[in-house]
Amino acid sequence: MSVVSQSPVARHVKTGAYFGVDNEPLVLLELIQRLKVRDVMTPKLVTVSRDAPMRAAQELMRKKKISGIPVEENGRFFGLVSIDDIIRALGGGYIDDPCSRHMTTKLVVLEDDMPLSFALRYFDRYSYGRFPVLNRDQRLVGIICQRDINRVLLVELTSELNRLESASGQNVMRDGSSNIYVLREFPICKYDFESAGKAANQIKQILQEKKFPPKDIRRVAVAAYELEINLCVHSDGGVLSWQVANGRSEIIARDAGPGIEDVEWACRDGTSTASEWIRSLGFGAGMGLVNVKRVSDEFEITSKKGSGTTVKSVIQIGNTPP
Amino acid sequence: MTVIEVAEAIKADVLVKGESCHKAVRHVVASDLMSDVLLVDEEDLLLLTSLASDQVLRTAQIVGAVGVILVNGKPMPSSMVNVANDLRMTLAICPLAKYDACVAVHAALNRA
Repeated sequence: MSVVSQSPVARHVKTGAYFGVDNEPLVLLELIQRLKVRDVMTPKLVTVSRDAPMRAAQELMRKKKISGIPVEENGRFFGLVSIDDIIRALGGGYIDDPCSRHMTTKLVVLEDDMPLSFALRYFDRYSYGRFPVLNRDQRLVGIICQRDINRVLLVELTSELNRLESASGQNVMRDGSSNIYVLREFPICKYDFESAGKAANQIKQILQEKKFPPKDIRRVAVAAYELEINLCVHSDGGVLSWQVANGRSEIIARDAGPGIEDVEWACRDGTSTASEWIRSLGFGAGMGLVNVKRVSDEFEITSKKGSGTTVKSVIQIGNTPP
Repeated sequence: MTVIEVAEAIKADVLVKGESCHKAVRHVVASDLMSDVLLVDEEDLLLLTSLASDQVLRTAQIVGAVGVILVNGKPMPSSMVNVANDLRMTLAICPLAKYDACVAVHAALNRA
């Protein structure tokens, strides 16, 4: 049996698992779906009150080297003073007027629980350099600019690459003599029924090519398919990771929300929160997690309402294929 | 009896001949709920369904079905034939209602 010593990242680039048909990096697409605006925004804000003179805003902008200041009182957001507003105030001779009189009030704002992909779309659609971020109670909680996005994406990408490299190292080292090593990650988008099932189909094909026992292949394929459908139907989007080494298949489905309130309830036969639309597509009978558990040798689920869910399915598929 | 022979016996039109089209049908499952189909452990099964969606074919491929017969003469999305070709899954369409199709398949398998 051959041990793949090549870096998993390099291998993904080669096989295309990390790149879409238009050479879009799928890992990046997954990140911008998974990360929320609140993960990227600057939460510690420099603000001014409505009564503060425009000159105070100008002074703060100069000191803090920023190009816009929200006008806020007790969390309530009233508007934004931008460099343009300051230039106009200096030219018009009203730099000592209160901010409330000249601030920009027609604003486009983002909500903190929107996916980062929304923010990127807004930067593309509007010519603003920053967007104020409000929470569900319409309170100002931060501000987001393109520099924030670049910084967070770089950090996240680095940690993702480190995770892949480390996963690769562990498995190759475990058994150098007899090892089939495969690692794949599939980003799954919410309600993308056109693609749902493709990851499980690919996993099945790979195992068939490696000639593992058909019964084991079926268990792995069923677990992968159920988890893939769950990500598509119930989450805001996530990633299905799959690795097989030393006769052990491990599937991890993780998403960034909305989370499960009662995990025990969700793992019972016939319990489901799926809509009629999902049921009309042949799913949502509340058997998904039950079925994953049934076919798995090890099953783990962790979830918290308001954050993400992670499900792990481990299936022993024999040390060597027949 | 192969899925092609079953399809001919119940006067179903075969739209795609997949890689298992000459394998013997050993079990038949009739369901519109793919969650239920995924619970079946039998090998070489034929799936009868009135659900016309790509996911039917993907589910059939996951459980190793030998073919899918769409009953009730349901209009199907054009993508289904493409997906069946991609997955090399036999796909047939039959005008009979699901219950009548089950009876006809049962009779055909008994005759064989």
